[in-house]
Amino acid sequence: MSGAGNREQVFATRQSLGVMKSKLKGAEIGHSLLKRKSEALTKRFREITRRIDEAKRKMGRVLQIAAFSLAEVAYATGSTGNLSYEIAQSVSQARFRLRTRQENVSGVLLPAFEVFMTEGGQAGGDFALTGLGRGGQQVQRAREVYSKAVETLVELASLQTAFVILDDVIKVVNRRVNAIEHVVIPRTENTIKYINSELDELDREEFYRLKKVQGKKQREAAGAEAEAKERRLALEEKGVTHEEKSDLLGDEEDEDVIF
Amino acid sequence: MEGLYFNVHSGYLEGIVRGYRNSLLTSSNYSNLTQCETLDDLKLQLSASYGDALANVPSPLSTSVIASKATDKLISEFRYLRANATGSLAKFMDYLTYGYMIDNVALLITGTLHERDTRELLERCHPLGTFETMPVLCVATNVEELYNSVLVETPLAPYFKGNLSSADLDELNIEIIRNTLYKSYLEDFHHFCVTEPGLAGTPTAEIMSEILSFEADRRAINITLNSFGTELSKQDRKKLYPNFGLLYPDGTAALARADDVEGVRAAVDGIGEYKAFFEQGAFGHSMGGSQPKSLEDLFYMREMQLAKDSFTQQFSYAIVFSWLKLKEQEIRNITWIAECIAQHQKERINNYISVF
Amino acid sequence: MAAAPDSYKNRQFLAVIGDEDTVTGMLLAGIGHVTPAPNSSQNFLIVDAKTETANIEKTFDEFTGRKDVGILLINQHIAEKIRYKLDTFTAAFPAVLEIPSKDHPYDPEKDTVLKRVRRLFGE
Repeated sequence: MSGAGNREQVFATRQSLGVMKSKLKGAEIGHSLLKRKSEALTKRFREITRRIDEAKRKMGRVLQIAAFSLAEVAYATGSTGNLSYEIAQSVSQARFRLRTRQENVSGVLLPAFEVFMTEGGQAGGDFALTGLGRGGQQVQRAREVYSKAVETLVELASLQTAFVILDDVIKVVNRRVNAIEHVVIPRTENTIKYINSELDELDREEFYRLKKVQGKKQREAAGAEAEAKERRLALEEKGVTHEEKSDLLGDEEDEDVIF
Repeated sequence: MEGLYFNVHSGYLEGIVRGYRNSLLTSSNYSNLTQCETLDDLKLQLSASYGDALANVPSPLSTSVIASKATDKLISEFRYLRANATGSLAKFMDYLTYGYMIDNVALLITGTLHERDTRELLERCHPLGTFETMPVLCVATNVEELYNSVLVETPLAPYFKGNLSSADLDELNIEIIRNTLYKSYLEDFHHFCVTEPGLAGTPTAEIMSEILSFEADRRAINITLNSFGTELSKQDRKKLYPNFGLLYPDGTAALARADDVEGVRAAVDGIGEYKAFFEQGAFGHSMGGSQPKSLEDLFYMREMQLAKDSFTQQFSYAIVFSWLKLKEQEIRNITWIAECIAQHQKERINNYISVF
Repeated sequence: MAAAPDSYKNRQFLAVIGDEDTVTGMLLAGIGHVTPAPNSSQNFLIVDAKTETANIEKTFDEFTGRKDVGILLINQHIAEKIRYKLDTFTAAFPAVLEIPSKDHPYDPEKDTVLKRVRRLFGE
């Protein structure tokens, strides 16, 4: 708000005043739109952070159950050491994959992960026969529990990605809102003020000039009248009738009309 | 008659094993264990039977450490027995290790197939299943080599021969290989117990026959149940059933045809004990505090019962087998209780199987 | 602002860095993917007591650099070892999730993302 320093370099004309006024209007509309966007995003953001918090806690429980299902496998098969190793070795293709889909929140595209199972192959994937001799049911169960746990994790990952992206976007939007509010709008307003004051200045100058002109004319007119009066009196003294003097087309008395 | 000379060569070991058996945890020990709040408490409670094994373990304890220390103890005891065994008892004990060997070989095959560093694999092998040529496996880089140079040297070679070729190792699922081997092993072990000159007609043959029959049936039932919904065809499945046991041949034939749990139930209908399992077992559900026991649990309980009963007979090698099984169950129980404590799942803690 | 669609449309795998049990569970669920030789790579790393931190860092960089990984799961106690890396990793993809393990229950205080959440709300 530092007066003359913070304004755009324009000529103070009525045309640029018009331009500035429409610019101000645009900035104000933009500001309110962005503000609303930022509010919508922030609302969403808060919701997401709340859900992340919840989901993280839920994840703790889910994974605990999952870890326990592995303990059941250990109990049923005797030990998990070799089982783990064999599982790690027999992995080939991921059965559990991600798909991303987009969600539009106030013009921001938020990716969300979705889980899908690859087609083909039997339900158990690479590990259908694991624990065939014993513990197969526990392995099966552990697989189900872990699948559910992974789904929870994927959900959480979606939230977290949304969190990171929204965080960035909100920062950008807020920066814009602030830029408009604290830079563009004051600057435009200053410019308008400046133009107005320049125009006013010009107006005043003009008014003063006109006044001067008028004053001068009045003085002249008064002088002329006094002269005429004197002459008339002199003529009357000499007996010249008034009629003679009332000739409107008489050149000598008329001045040029100047404004 | 057999009792007359039994003590000459095996009396000492029988005494030792019976002593080991008496050191197994009892239900009151277990109920003390379940009261523990932390693993350190658990360690304290275990100090009577595992004190020496766990004494030097630094805190914080983890369940895997407890389990591995307990296993170490089991192994050292087993090795002691094996070192003192002679004649057919030594052979009998060798047979006991073959089961672990099968697991190790399956592990090594998996590793070799995926070209992993076999040295790392050796650490993971079950110590009871080690065999002399195992370190040589480090040299084998492909399946062909593994089969020709290493596996044929192992005691498992007869189980490979006639069942699996080197090409099979490459193509078949490792679980199928493992179960094929296991089937041959069970049959062989059973054959050994009933025909070995020193064993035939002894209580050993009698008891082991019962235990192994149960083991064979359990595998058949488990394989059937676990194969539903997988690519394992009925033909292939049938090949994995051991050719003896209470279910053989009628039951296994019926199992081979089974399509679902009902089919299995019908197949085992003829055998009273298994029928009862299906009646009381909530099949397919997890083992839970209030829920009925799972089939797997019921099998374990039955196994423990058989193992316990085998101690009532004298002059039998079967007690070594039974002791091994009881001890393994004990380690499983301890691990389970430790897991429950570590993961704060106390409501399930009573799911162990206490034998004595 | 928002990431360009092609930066994530090919991200169809999950990756995991964890202890043996966690990784086994995840693999059981079916997230494991091993690309065939010659340049064989896998999307999981089993960390045990012997695994060096440098190796964890390398794997973390590798997984976060991969274009086909959408989510990276990492055990919290392992994340602690390379915390500075997680704190400086701010990209939206892949999403890095800290998960609890069997022996280490989840501690929200340490989570990089949750720390950020709290900072934003000035708690």
